[in-house]
Amino acid sequence: MSDSKADLLHGTLDLMVLQTLEVLGPLHGYGIARRIEQLSDDVLQLNQGTIYQSLMRLQQRRWISAAWGTSENNRKAKFYAITSAGKRQLASETRNWNRIAGVIGRLLRLSEP
Amino acid sequence: MPAWLAVALARLRGLFAGRADDADFDEEVRSHLEMLVDEHLRRGVSMAEARRAARLAFGGSMQTLERHRENRSLPLVESTMQDVRYAGRSLVRYPTFSVVAIVTLAIGIGAGAAVLSFAGAVLLKPLPYARPQALVRIFETNPLKKWTRNVASPANYADWKSRNRSFTDVAAYEQFSNTGSGASDVFLTGLGEPQGLKSLGVSGNLFRALGRPPLLGRTFADEEELEGKSRVAVLSYGLWQSAFGGDPQIVGRQITLSGRTFEVVGVMPRDFFFPGRDVQIWLPFGYAPAVFQMVRRPHYLGVVARLRAGVTLAQARHDLDSVAAALEREYPDTNTQMGVRLEGFHDSLAYQSRPALLMLSGAVGLLFLVMCVNLANLQLGRGASRLRELAIRRAIGAGRGRLVRQLVTEGIVVSVIGGAVGLGLAAAGHSALIAFAASAVPLFADVALDRSVALIAAALTLAAPVVFAIVPALAGTNAVALTDRTDAGSRHTSTLRSTLVASEVALSLMLIVTALLLVRSLSRLQEVDPGFNPDHVAAFTIALPAARYPNGASKLAAFREIERRLTAVSGISAVGASSSIALRGYTWTGDATVEGRASTDYERELRHQSVLTGYFRTMGIRLLSGRLLDDHDVESQPPVTVVNKTLETQYFRGALAVGKRITFGRPQDNAPWVTIVGVVDDEKQDGLDRAPQPEVYSPVAQKMQNPMTFVLRVPGNPSSALAAARSEVHAVDKDLALTDVVTLSDLVHESTSDERFRTILLSGFAGVALFLAALGIYGVLAYWVTQRMRELGIRLALGAQGAAIFRTVVGEGMRPVAIGGAAGIAGAFAAGRLVKALLFGVEALDPFVYSSAIGVLALAAFLASALPALRATRVDPLVVLREE
Repeated sequence: MSDSKADLLHGTLDLMVLQTLEVLGPLHGYGIARRIEQLSDDVLQLNQGTIYQSLMRLQQRRWISAAWGTSENNRKAKFYAITSAGKRQLASETRNWNRIAGVIGRLLRLSEP
Repeated sequence: MPAWLAVALARLRGLFAGRADDADFDEEVRSHLEMLVDEHLRRGVSMAEARRAARLAFGGSMQTLERHRENRSLPLVESTMQDVRYAGRSLVRYPTFSVVAIVTLAIGIGAGAAVLSFAGAVLLKPLPYARPQALVRIFETNPLKKWTRNVASPANYADWKSRNRSFTDVAAYEQFSNTGSGASDVFLTGLGEPQGLKSLGVSGNLFRALGRPPLLGRTFADEEELEGKSRVAVLSYGLWQSAFGGDPQIVGRQITLSGRTFEVVGVMPRDFFFPGRDVQIWLPFGYAPAVFQMVRRPHYLGVVARLRAGVTLAQARHDLDSVAAALEREYPDTNTQMGVRLEGFHDSLAYQSRPALLMLSGAVGLLFLVMCVNLANLQLGRGASRLRELAIRRAIGAGRGRLVRQLVTEGIVVSVIGGAVGLGLAAAGHSALIAFAASAVPLFADVALDRSVALIAAALTLAAPVVFAIVPALAGTNAVALTDRTDAGSRHTSTLRSTLVASEVALSLMLIVTALLLVRSLSRLQEVDPGFNPDHVAAFTIALPAARYPNGASKLAAFREIERRLTAVSGISAVGASSSIALRGYTWTGDATVEGRASTDYERELRHQSVLTGYFRTMGIRLLSGRLLDDHDVESQPPVTVVNKTLETQYFRGALAVGKRITFGRPQDNAPWVTIVGVVDDEKQDGLDRAPQPEVYSPVAQKMQNPMTFVLRVPGNPSSALAAARSEVHAVDKDLALTDVVTLSDLVHESTSDERFRTILLSGFAGVALFLAALGIYGVLAYWVTQRMRELGIRLALGAQGAAIFRTVVGEGMRPVAIGGAAGIAGAFAAGRLVKALLFGVEALDPFVYSSAIGVLALAAFLASALPALRATRVDPLVVLREE
């Protein structure tokens, strides 16, 4: 059950969810999905349902926690919040991501004529 | 906490989340959709439009829920638990099947676990010595004397020990009897009542060879086996506890054994025994050094040796063969054709029990198979009635694999319940089984209830469903579809069921044939004339301690006085005594020369016993010619002897023995001539199944032996006279003890108890197997009749005779019986060959046994088919046709 080998797509979505919660604070599934769509300028069109798989994965790893609350529109909704373990994970994932992005970037520049 | 562990825990918790979590997630999804609807409404579309857009944006909510459930917990476990719950419900729904299946499995698994763990304890459980697999037992062999596994003489033992190159140690122990461990009786005095103990004389190096350190003190040193240094003793843990209350200061204490003083030097650990659990105390031989050089004739040492590291048993055999060959050249007198036989020590201890235990294990395996096959058959019959249910489940989307898994899970659930009940039975019946099997439990075996019973039961529990659940599940789901729930599918399973019945019949026949072979063998054994009349005879042994009875005259006087006093007791009609009692223990042997033969031609190891003259009358041994010994045959008179019929036949080849002379020694020994004055009928010495050997009887007045076994003929109950006998013996000498007190009828009964045990057990197995096979036949046929109700109705309506219908149905039932029977006979041939060693007076291919077995089976099969056949003839055509 190694997390580092997790599917890239899953991993990416998980990272985006963590980042969203880190920046915006506790948020419900709809809010997270909307935020990710907006940030990507609606390039990423996900079935919003798939966000729940990501939320379950993160919850099982204890990187986020969940609690019922009331939304801004006065609707009952489940709110997710990043935990301290989640923050550490986000930091290390971000570093990894940047390093790999940096390497790939250099590689691509080098192969330019 | 590492993430993977957190996930594992979360998923385990998820197993129990169930409906509450479903509701929670439902609500979350609903709230999400509502927010999406709100968003679209804000953009100004209609409610309907907003809803559609929301569902589109969210994606399939059922799929989301499904995936949520999968990720929540462990899907495989969850569906298995579902299957288990379903299996439980279905067990309750079909109670008859459940009870039959559970009872069958409980018997099969319980019997299997009991018998197999018993066999394992005897054959496999390691002995409590260091590297026990390196211990080897060495026997003398001699084709001239028909010896294959004989005890060794001290000088042969000493030469094996000094000349071999294969062993680190060659040790020995005295085996003066064939019963138990061969230990002898000594009397512990000075602690209240004299106490009879089983003691074993051993060589100084025995404990070193076994490689087990003592619990307290030390074991023997090599030189302590010699006279003058041998007054030391090592106690068993049991004796230390029972006689000395576990005294921690025991080492160094002086104890008195049969009038001689010994110093306790050590106590062995609790689990230690050698060579059987009956031995309570070990004493060094105490021989003169000359014994190890000169004494090549009496054979009474059990020899056990430890292989050097890296030496194989085959190499050691080769080595000792050449030692034995050298001894044969050096001592032609005693060692002509004297070879050696090496066996692993454990194998040698289990030698007697192995064939019977292997047979019982095989039989319980067959029984287990019959039970599984029978259950498979039941399951298939049930599968047919459940076809509809399976078809519906298939139609609403269950894959075949899923259905098979469901059926197999049901099988495992039944098996686990049955296995648990069976294990309970095996554990509850353990002590009863051990008591019942007492004679078959060798003295070295540890048959205490331990986890091996549970392990075997668990293994059988898992093995059973492989046969009885997987096959029917595959067959049952093969052709299942709603369209063909009638003929095609069930015809397929019918063929399979007939095959199963045929194999049940075959396996049962193997068991029945084997059981009948044993029964016949046992009855032959019980018909054997022991050569004496065991009814109403009691026996006990008296050993006169050398300290108080130093010479022949004092011993003779004591034995005579005991005889005289016992004869005077009212209620005892005859008294005698012999130095070796029939069917038990040791026989004295020695050389003998027959007058008139060439000087090099003499008999080795002729059996002889010394008797008080009333012995023949008391035992009811018939005189065939000449006269019996009487009270005038005393030391001052010419030496005389009585011989048995076998001796007359073998030594004199048809000529009369009476009047001939023999000596008890080699020709060159110039022993005095002894005249044969009578010939008596053969007395079975070694066991009812053994041929008698040549034997001579001398008057104890002319040839003293000690100890002597007294026999008393009592008109009433033989044990009733024993109290009187005991006080008469004590009137002669209050320190004498009566040992080995038995009645001869018990002794005869006991000598066949091993055979009886396995015969009863195997007959039980065969009976159960036969019953199950009959049940199988009945089940298949009953189903066949039900299916053909319409056809039978039409045939009856068209005027078919009931008898014809009956014949058809019974014929149908007999077909698998005939096929299975043929296979079973072939199997029984093979099984018969394997049990050959256990048979007495009956051939493995005994035609009577085979025909009775087939007869019994045919009768059971006929009865099992007759019931459905009768039902078939009573079909009312009107009713059947109306139903359609």
